[in-house]
Amino acid sequence: MSSAVRTRVPLPGVGASSLRSWAAALLVLVCALLFSLPFWVTKPYLLHMGVLLFLAVIQGQAWNILGGYAGQHSLGHAAYFGLGAYTTVMLFERAQISPFTGIWLGVLLASLVSWGVGAITFRLRGPYFVLASISVAEIIRLLALHFKDFTRGAEGFLLSALPAFQLGPLEIELFSKRPFYFAALLVALWTTLVSWLVQRSKIGYYLQAVREDQDAAHSIGINLQAYKCLALVISAGFTAWAGGFYALFVKFIDPETVFGIDVSVQILLTCIVGGIGTLAGPALGALLLVPLSEFLRNPKGLVQLGLLSSDSSLVRLVEERLSHAHSFVYGLLLVVIILFSPEGLWGLVKRWFAPARGEG
Amino acid sequence: MQMFFQAVLSGLLMGGVYSLIGIGLTIIFGVMQVINFAHGDLVMVGMYVTWLLFSYFHLDPFLSIVLTAPLLFVLGAVIQRVTIQRVLGAASENQILLTIGIGLLLSNTAMLLFTSDYQLLTTSYSSSSFSVFGMSVSQPLVVAFAITGVVAAGLYAFLMKTDTGQAIRATAQDREAAQLMGINVSRMSVLAFGIGAALAGTAGALIAPTYYIFPQVGHAFTLKSFVIVVLGGMGSVVGATLGGILIGIVESLAALYLASGLKECVVFGLFLLLLLFRPSGLLGRART
Repeated sequence: MSSAVRTRVPLPGVGASSLRSWAAALLVLVCALLFSLPFWVTKPYLLHMGVLLFLAVIQGQAWNILGGYAGQHSLGHAAYFGLGAYTTVMLFERAQISPFTGIWLGVLLASLVSWGVGAITFRLRGPYFVLASISVAEIIRLLALHFKDFTRGAEGFLLSALPAFQLGPLEIELFSKRPFYFAALLVALWTTLVSWLVQRSKIGYYLQAVREDQDAAHSIGINLQAYKCLALVISAGFTAWAGGFYALFVKFIDPETVFGIDVSVQILLTCIVGGIGTLAGPALGALLLVPLSEFLRNPKGLVQLGLLSSDSSLVRLVEERLSHAHSFVYGLLLVVIILFSPEGLWGLVKRWFAPARGEG
Repeated sequence: MQMFFQAVLSGLLMGGVYSLIGIGLTIIFGVMQVINFAHGDLVMVGMYVTWLLFSYFHLDPFLSIVLTAPLLFVLGAVIQRVTIQRVLGAASENQILLTIGIGLLLSNTAMLLFTSDYQLLTTSYSSSSFSVFGMSVSQPLVVAFAITGVVAAGLYAFLMKTDTGQAIRATAQDREAAQLMGINVSRMSVLAFGIGAALAGTAGALIAPTYYIFPQVGHAFTLKSFVIVVLGGMGSVVGATLGGILIGIVESLAALYLASGLKECVVFGLFLLLLLFRPSGLLGRART
C-alpha cells in the first residue's frame, strides 16, 4: 500500500498549510450555518439531534485534552459527567437552587473530585491507569445506586419544570429546544477554542511531551503529576458541564445513564473515531456517531423528517432488531478503526490531502 | 461467629469460580501482555452456550463443559488470530480499545439473539443445599468448586509438565528469546487466548445454574477479574487462584457486614489501594 502512495506526486500548494486554510474557511462556513439553522429549520427532531451532537463534541474535546494531548486514556469520565448531572439536578430538587447556578457548582465539584482522583491515580501508567479510572467511576456509580435516601438510587430523578433563564433583563423560557440549541452550540465552540488554546500553549507542548515519553518529559523538568492533573481538571470540568446540561435537556437521570461505563466508552469512541489528539477529531467523531446512534435507537426520527417511510424495511429492521443492541455498531466501529485506521477519520482526511507527507 | 464462617464459606465457593476466570485472564496477559476487556463477555458466552444446551438437549450444565470449553477455545483462538494478533505491537491503549470493541460485539450479539431478558437455568439441584456444622452449603456451588479444582490442577500440570506448556511459559517469560529457541510464538499466543477463553467459558458453565443469564452479565466479571489478576500479580496462575478466592471471601464478608449493594465498592476500593501500594500484586516481585 505504501508504495502506491509514494508514487503519487503532491499537487503544488496542496500541503499541510493549504489543509489548514481550507479547514479555517470551512469552519467559518459551518459556524454560520449552525447559528442560522434554528431560523430556517422547523423540525424539532433536527434541533434535538443538534443539541446531542454539540454535547458529544463538548465531551469529546474535554476528553481529548487529557486522553489525546496528555495520552492518559481515561475510561472513567462517566464519573465527572454523572457528578455534573447529579449536582445540578439534586441542588434544584432538594435545595431549590437554580439549575443555572447548580450546573457551575457541579463543574466545581467535579473539578475538585478530579483533582483528588488525579493525585491518586496518576502515579499509575498505561493499562493500570485505565483500570484505576474505571474503578473510580464504578465506585461512584455503585454508591449512587446504594444510598437511596440521598440519591434515590436506581429510581433516578425526573425533572418536571425548569425555571426561566435570566440573562440580564432577558427572560428565556425553556419550553422549546431553541435555547438549548444555542447554549450547547456556544459551549461546544468554547470547548473547542479552549482545546485549541491548550494545544498551542506551553501546557499543550508539555502534555504532548508527557504523552510521548513520561520519563523523558520528567527528566527535562516537567512536573508530570501537576500537568496531568491540570489536564484532568480542565477535562473533568467541561465533562461535568455537559453532564449538567444533559440532565436539564433530557430531564431524566439515573445512575446507569450518567455514571455507567457506556458513557465513558461513548466519550472515548467519539475521539477514537474522529482522531485522537486532534482538534477536528471529536467533531468528526460526533458527526458520525450521534446521528448513527440516534437512528439506531429510534429510526422514527428519519420518518418524521420524511426521509424514510414508516413501513420501509430498513426502519422495521432497525426497530425490531438493532434498537435493542445499538452498541453492536459501536463495537464494530471500535474494532474496525483500531485495526485499520488507528488515527481515525481525521487521519484519513490528512492522508488524502497530503499523500506524500511522512513517506520520505 | 456462625454468620462469619457461613460468609467465609460461601465466599470461598464463589471465589473458586472467580479464580477460574482470573486464571484465564492472567494466562492471556502473561503470554501477550494484552489486557482482555472482553473476558467477562466470554464468561457470558459460556453461560448462554450452557443454557442453550440445557434448554434444547437437556444436557446437564456441569456435563456440558466438555462441549462448552472446546467451543470457547475455538472462539478465543479465532478472536486472537483475526484481531488481537494484529495489534500485539501497538500501544496498550489500542489493545484495550480493541478488546472493549470485541466485548461490545459479543454482548450485543447475545442481545440480538436472545434479547435482554433474564434467563434462568433451573436444574433439580439449582437451589438445593446441605448443612455442615450448622452452615448451609449450596450444592451446585460445591460441585462447581470441585470442578474448578480439577480444572486448575490439570492446567497447572499442563503448563508445568508438557512441552507445549513449557513453550507457553517460555513465551510469557521472554517472547524474543522463546522465538530464538524455535518456539512458534504466534501459535502459542493463539493457544493461550484459546485456553483463556475456554477457562472463562468453563466458569460460565459452572455458574449458569445459580446465576441470572443476560447479555450484560459479563461486565461485572470483567472488572472483577482485573482485580483478581492484579491482586495475584499479572501473569501468575497461582496468584490468580488465590486472588479469586480472596476476592470471593472479601465480597461475601462485605455483603454481610456492610450491605450487599456495597460489596463491589469494597472490591474496587481495595483494587485502587492495591494498585497504589503493591502494583506487582500480593505475591509478585517488584516490577522493573
